[in-house]
Amino acid sequence: MRRSPTTLAGFRRRLAAALGLALLASSIPAQAEDLILALSTREVAITSTYTGAEITVFGLIERDARTIARTGGYDIVAQVQGPTGEVTVQRKGKFGPIWLTDDRQKYAKIPLFFSILSSRPLTTVVDEAVREKLQLGLEFFLPKPDAQPGRRDADDFGFRNALLRLRRDERGLIEDPKSITMIRPNLFTARVVLPATAPTGLYLVNLTVLAEGLPLKTAQAGFVVRKVGFDAFVANAARTEAWGYGLFTVLMAVMMGWMANLVFRRD
Amino acid sequence: MQLYLPIAELPLNLFLLLGMGGAIGFISGLFGVGGGFLLTPLLIFVGVPAPVAVATSSVHIAASSVTGSLTYWRRRALDLKLGSVLVAGGLVGTVAGVLFFNQMRKLGHLDLVITLSYVTLLMSVGCLMFVESIGALVEQRKGKPAVLRHAGEHRWYERMPFPMRFHRSKMSTSVIPLIVLGAIIGFIGTVLGIGGGFLVVPALIYLFRVPTSVVVGTSLFQILITMIVATLLHAVISQAVDVLLAMTLVVGGVIGAQFGARTGQALKGEQFRLLLALLILIVGVRFAFDIIGAPQDLYSINATVLDR
Repeated sequence: MRRSPTTLAGFRRRLAAALGLALLASSIPAQAEDLILALSTREVAITSTYTGAEITVFGLIERDARTIARTGGYDIVAQVQGPTGEVTVQRKGKFGPIWLTDDRQKYAKIPLFFSILSSRPLTTVVDEAVREKLQLGLEFFLPKPDAQPGRRDADDFGFRNALLRLRRDERGLIEDPKSITMIRPNLFTARVVLPATAPTGLYLVNLTVLAEGLPLKTAQAGFVVRKVGFDAFVANAARTEAWGYGLFTVLMAVMMGWMANLVFRRD
Repeated sequence: MQLYLPIAELPLNLFLLLGMGGAIGFISGLFGVGGGFLLTPLLIFVGVPAPVAVATSSVHIAASSVTGSLTYWRRRALDLKLGSVLVAGGLVGTVAGVLFFNQMRKLGHLDLVITLSYVTLLMSVGCLMFVESIGALVEQRKGKPAVLRHAGEHRWYERMPFPMRFHRSKMSTSVIPLIVLGAIIGFIGTVLGIGGGFLVVPALIYLFRVPTSVVVGTSLFQILITMIVATLLHAVISQAVDVLLAMTLVVGGVIGAQFGARTGQALKGEQFRLLLALLILIVGVRFAFDIIGAPQDLYSINATVLDR
């Protein structure tokens, strides 16, 4: 019996497709990309001339011979998370003729510096589910709306939005869609900009490689921001030697006042 | 040139700070007020956290009062005895004030207390002084001499127990109202980060009818002692004194205070009172506007505390 050529061609096509699928399925765990990071510095030193800092993260997406080709290229997103603290947001209300604080909301253990870096606008890179999975947003560090018993949803919504907006204004929350540059299809740099008001402490950079909107690999790197030299000495003295620090300050003030009087004395 | 401030934890322009210190120092030397009621809001405006602004202002006030009081001392326009009585009362008020300040800081009501107290005090004192000094100037135009004190006249609070004579101030009064005045001023001064001079000066002029020239010198002396104590207490309890910020402000402040003290000596009593009234009113209106005008933003970040 002789098979029709059309049937044979069909079989071959089906075989190729089945083989292709099998290859693809087996490749996913074995062939995922690796991500290697290096930071331009591990320590940001605050001195008297400190006006903020810029740290560059260098990244290499490593592929081996078996890694499948990504037609759309790679996307990189990163979140930089600074030390945590408590932020109190207050809202004014009108009481008769005057405006006074009528409500306040405390947010504990939220990063006091948070930035989201990407190579193009975040919404074009990830969808909501992935964004939440990667925690790309300060809102994922706030308590869930239902965690506040006795407060109306509208109030809660207002406070959360205000917090995000005010933190943006204070540069404690930065979203920069132009801070990651692809140098080669698999080599990139991420620029982390720290304003001078960013708190001292440990910072964590969480960087993810994506293709077609799906995360492939995540890597972490950290750096520390701390006062050094004179500034560290002053901050330390103010805390540990409070009396001596206070006395010294007063003595300096009195001496300077007295000296000005001597300098300007005309008679 | 930016200078990073280790306690305030932000960089500020060195020349801006020197200029601010100088301008406030001039006003301080001229009027015998500490100038903190201008300096504290200015510091907050340029981004210094409120507790640091309040605590650090007290250092600047101390320094400009040293230079001012020395100038008045050499011109025999400082009543040391009167100043010491006010200081005694002031110490009591200062301790109470620092304790109160720290409680308020924990509760987060500090801004409300500050704003309300500022407005009430500045507006009422400013209005009273303005009306009086305008009246005195008009009287003077008509040729009548401006007399604040009639010989032998003693008000009820001056007749209280423990009388004392103050030669340089040309008056005698009971110690009790002076101690109470000192305590109130010490308390308010510490809570608001102001020397309280804008209360001492009018109180001594109107309530005790001390000659204007002596009032300024004596007020500066009282402010000096009060602010030294306040600085120490702030340094120990709230730990919010920024020594670098303070010294930068002080360099400008002591120079400004010298020029202020010289200018002040050339002013007549009525002119002096009118100018001080206007200054107090301007500040009061500015703060009143803060709570009466609709806020640009209903929400604000009140405090940010780093986890240690």
